[in-house]
Amino acid sequence: MTISLLQYMLIPLFSALLIPFVARRRGKLAEIFANVTLLAGLINIGWTLLSPAVLASGFSVLAEDGFSLLMVLTIYLVGLCVSFFSASYGQGRGVNTAYFYPLLLVSVAAMCGVVTSTDFFTLYIFVEVLAVASFALITSDDGREGVEGAIKYYLLTFPASAAIMLGLAVMLLSAGTFSFDSIRIIVYSGASAPALVFSLSLLLLGFLVKSGVVPFHVWTPDAYQGAYAPVSAFLAGIVTKISGVYAVVRIAMFLRLFETGAFRLSEVLMFLGMVSIAVGAIAAMKQDDLKRMLAFSSVSQIGYIVLAAGLATPLAFIGAVFHLFNHATFKTVLFLNSASLEKAAGTRDMTRLGGMEHPMPWTSWTSVIAMLSTAGIPPLSGFWSKLIIIIALWDAGAVTYAVLALLFSALTLAYFLIMQRRIFFGKKSPAAETASEVSPALLAPAVLMSAVIVAAGLLFPYFFSYLAETIASRMVL
Amino acid sequence: MNLLSIPVLLPLAAGLLILAISDRTRWLRELLAIGVTAVCFLAALNALAPALLGQHYQLTLPWLGGGMDFSLKADQLSAFLLLAVSFFSLLVSFYAFSFPDKGKAKWFYFNVLLTQSFAAGAALADSLLALLFFWEGLLVFLYTFIALSRDTAGSRATAMKAFLINGVTDLCLLLGIGLTAYLAGTMSMSEISAEKLTLNGWGGLAYVLLLIGALSKAGAIPFHTWIPDAAVDSSAPFMAYVPAAIDKLLGIYFLARISIYLFQLNGAMQLVLMTIGALTIIIAVMMAFVQQDYKRLLSYHAVSQTGYMILGIGTLNPIGIAGGLFHMINHASYKSCLFMTAGAVERQAGTGDLGKLGGLFRAMPVTAVCFVIAAAAISGIAPFNGFFSKELIYKGTLETGWLSFFIAAEVGSLLTLASFLKLGHSVFFDKRPDELKDVSEAPFSMLLPMLVLAAVCVVFGFGAAIPAAYLIGPALDNLSLFPEHALSGFHFDNLYLVSVIVILGAVMNHVYGYSAARGKASKSSDHIHYAPVLGWLYALAEKRFFDPYEQLMKRVPDFSALLYKADRFFDWLTDGLPVAAAGRLNDLSRRFHSGSYPAYMLLMGLAMTLFVLFTANSGGIK
Amino acid sequence: MIEYREFLYLAVTLCALAAVMSRNMLTAAISLAATSIGVALVLFDFRAPWAAVFELSVCAGLITVLFISAVSLLRKEEPFFAEDRTRFRLLPVFALIVAIGGWIAGWPFFEALADYARFGARGQSLGSMLWESRRMDLLGQIAMLAAGVLVINSVFAAKKAGK
Repeated sequence: MTISLLQYMLIPLFSALLIPFVARRRGKLAEIFANVTLLAGLINIGWTLLSPAVLASGFSVLAEDGFSLLMVLTIYLVGLCVSFFSASYGQGRGVNTAYFYPLLLVSVAAMCGVVTSTDFFTLYIFVEVLAVASFALITSDDGREGVEGAIKYYLLTFPASAAIMLGLAVMLLSAGTFSFDSIRIIVYSGASAPALVFSLSLLLLGFLVKSGVVPFHVWTPDAYQGAYAPVSAFLAGIVTKISGVYAVVRIAMFLRLFETGAFRLSEVLMFLGMVSIAVGAIAAMKQDDLKRMLAFSSVSQIGYIVLAAGLATPLAFIGAVFHLFNHATFKTVLFLNSASLEKAAGTRDMTRLGGMEHPMPWTSWTSVIAMLSTAGIPPLSGFWSKLIIIIALWDAGAVTYAVLALLFSALTLAYFLIMQRRIFFGKKSPAAETASEVSPALLAPAVLMSAVIVAAGLLFPYFFSYLAETIASRMVL
Repeated sequence: MNLLSIPVLLPLAAGLLILAISDRTRWLRELLAIGVTAVCFLAALNALAPALLGQHYQLTLPWLGGGMDFSLKADQLSAFLLLAVSFFSLLVSFYAFSFPDKGKAKWFYFNVLLTQSFAAGAALADSLLALLFFWEGLLVFLYTFIALSRDTAGSRATAMKAFLINGVTDLCLLLGIGLTAYLAGTMSMSEISAEKLTLNGWGGLAYVLLLIGALSKAGAIPFHTWIPDAAVDSSAPFMAYVPAAIDKLLGIYFLARISIYLFQLNGAMQLVLMTIGALTIIIAVMMAFVQQDYKRLLSYHAVSQTGYMILGIGTLNPIGIAGGLFHMINHASYKSCLFMTAGAVERQAGTGDLGKLGGLFRAMPVTAVCFVIAAAAISGIAPFNGFFSKELIYKGTLETGWLSFFIAAEVGSLLTLASFLKLGHSVFFDKRPDELKDVSEAPFSMLLPMLVLAAVCVVFGFGAAIPAAYLIGPALDNLSLFPEHALSGFHFDNLYLVSVIVILGAVMNHVYGYSAARGKASKSSDHIHYAPVLGWLYALAEKRFFDPYEQLMKRVPDFSALLYKADRFFDWLTDGLPVAAAGRLNDLSRRFHSGSYPAYMLLMGLAMTLFVLFTANSGGIK
Repeated sequence: MIEYREFLYLAVTLCALAAVMSRNMLTAAISLAATSIGVALVLFDFRAPWAAVFELSVCAGLITVLFISAVSLLRKEEPFFAEDRTRFRLLPVFALIVAIGGWIAGWPFFEALADYARFGARGQSLGSMLWESRRMDLLGQIAMLAAGVLVINSVFAAKKAGK
């Protein structure tokens, strides 16, 4: 790992350690500190990725791991949105800013550690740091649901840690190393011991649990629903993706398992992905609680990523990584909007909402953009990633999966339209009479993210060449 | 007159005679029954003695013709069994002498004698047809025995349950016997054994059918469910006689006959038998552990111990089979003894509810001592008989190389001891409630059989060489098995150390449970009874969710309703299916995501296990 | 022949028992740390310096810090509530069972292990080991420590406020 990537982890960590001392008396200072740190990081990584020289070279000058870089960008983007949002959202909810922001920064640091680590043990340590920090973040406000959600998150993802530890132990026994590169060389040489493949499948199992794939998804609805509202966005948008899905894609990508030893593993992965898509979409249809519905939708979207990772062709990886990025953007918008709704209307129970478009047009329209992107409507970014995944499936001969993925994409559109109608359109509910649009500070993150969604959709050729250049051509051999 | 006709015909005649005796006579029926069973016992001894020397009594009568003769033959195994049947008949007749709650004496002794007659016939039968005849006869008297033991709706329902379960499995037996006879071309077991059948093709089906009959008689899961009900709805002498002794003897006898004598088994069937044995041990002992009724607890143990015998025979090696047969006779002795102590406590204290009993040691010292001996024997504590037979079974199991079955058997042993610690503690040792302060010792006629059986437990333990030399060894010869190791003798080896571990573990569990129950001995199983996932399973089991019979019976009305509704269904299929399906799926997922930790954890664990199994299968650890 | 190694095993076991059976939470935390140190020594002895390093830094250092800070937070607030301690008293019995089991099954294993340690050469020094190859992990542990302190502060502060 080069030092240039290490900084994305170290700076927020220092900042986090500083805040409790600096901002002990003045909560505002903590907010400013956190936001500035994250903004600086975002600008830095943005410049690294998108400076004119890099663009002109068609990304070929980027020496670092493209997947890690893109993930760092996503982490900072979501982190900044959430931190900016909670600055205006948190008053009067018993949130202790002197600890909330440091925890947020620690989780950003931990996530950067996860995506920049080149070693399974380090990866695991950072995943655990992330779990500890999220545990406290979920309980940030004074609600009682938060504690339940946090405990559920902790207890139900505990088996995942057990599986990962076991996998690490078996890996050390069979390969004698944790390093990605060494393991990759062993796997590519074709001489991989069955025990090594087994250890990787255990790791994969652990990360599947952490990413909330059906049937390991049971903790997600409760944790997302119970968490402090901006934290829900943080969790659903980025935390569980980094602590679970990222590693799943990484293992699938780096190790070319599925051609040599463990084709069965690939089948399992694809099957679980498909089941997640189906179960998540069906369960989301009839939820009354907005956040719970979004949680199930998240399960469904993760299914697409896992399905593509299981397929393990270069095109599928492009789709998976792009969908990972897109999922972070649109799910953050939706969760932040649910928080705004809760603040403005006092409830997120969809049976009591309706006609909210009139008082809250910005929230409504950013939701529409995010939702259409989720459902895969051109030209938004979600359309492209789903399209790539389905084309990759079709190319590889998995026609049934391709058709099912397409059908459930339509179901996604259906439940989001139902949601949109119940909340924003239709007759004005009593809640809509009294509500008014939230402040611009709360709208800004959602608008920024919506802009990213539209931009990523319109500038898709750039994205594609980035992914093809830095991921497909370099890593997937 | 042939000697073999005595144990069959004499009880039959005496049983019919008892019905004719006037109700005004006192003790006449009892004395007649005791006398007849004593004579039968002597006859059985006389039949065994020459069999040990290789001279078999035989009785062959022409019957239906065409090779279907009615033949009895007292070879070593059958003579051993005959002796056991007669022995327990004698003891139960004696025990029931002054036992009040056994139903009408007339009917009780009628049932005992008829059951004895038919059991003796089944034990001696050499022709499969004769065996079937006696076997089905036992079914009839099983029904009358339970139904006439008490005049309640419960006992009639339980009798019907026992009758239906055994009736269905006997039907399997009938088919199996027909198929076997057809394949072998003869009905005589000794002729079939000369050229054993294999499990290929129809032979496999025949064996499985016969196996169902044998397992059901022995009371293995899933055919055991009537036994715990009978424990509540029937009398202690019945429990001591039929489910504890006769059924086990015959079932295991027949299992050994078919598995060793008639068929040449293969590894797969060995695995099936051992799995059934291990499951029976574990499931039944788990159920036994949490029971709150004296007899019901014992009855689950009667099921669980069957598992050991099946496991022993399923090992298919001489040591294991010796252990299975030895355990069969040992189990009959200590379990009968335990049921007899249950009857004694019930008679003297008026209840079998563990929560209401306590501190009876001083009041009923002889019963208590018998209980302690029998409980130690059933728990496999050296040097009582249970230890030696279990040791043989363990050895046989280890010899097959399947460590998991050995572990299951040891765990079963641990839980057995734990539940007897609970039982003994709460009945004989805990604080005595005020209502029980006038309780006195049971009468002599009840104590004597208990003492005899306790003595058997001790003698077969210290002197395990006696049964090994005169009963088990010859029986194995009869099955043409010749074990490599000595069948008796105490070995200070690892198996003994493991048994010490098991004892320590059980004591630990009991002390923990006792303290967790805040000093209520009868509640000392609650920490397992209400443990997270187990509590849920136990609640389901108590609602008889896992009882195939109850489930089927519940389905009968549903089934007829179903036929009616099938018609409506086709209408509905064309009407509202799409809408309803979507709604159902949604509701299902909502109900499933209920937020319950145990359910979530269970799902998680299951899915993780499946994942590992599935991925390990290909490219994984193989 | 009894070697120092056997004493080490015994000491580790006793510390572990003490950690579980102790009434006082502070004693328990310290006994646990002592156990970890013992285990680290055993691991180092068996030529597993990496594992020893992890054990020492994570278990003996980091977790003990967390425990002790948590205990000190608790101490001021809450009296120890009465609990049923029978299960802890049963622990030595359980240890005895395990010991007998180990005697049956594990003896050759221990012999082999002891041989392994006896003939094994010592590895690198602890410090160079730690810094050269596991730098990233150390950073991760620092992050873990930071997260732990923050969690304790935020969760307990919320609890106090709740009262």
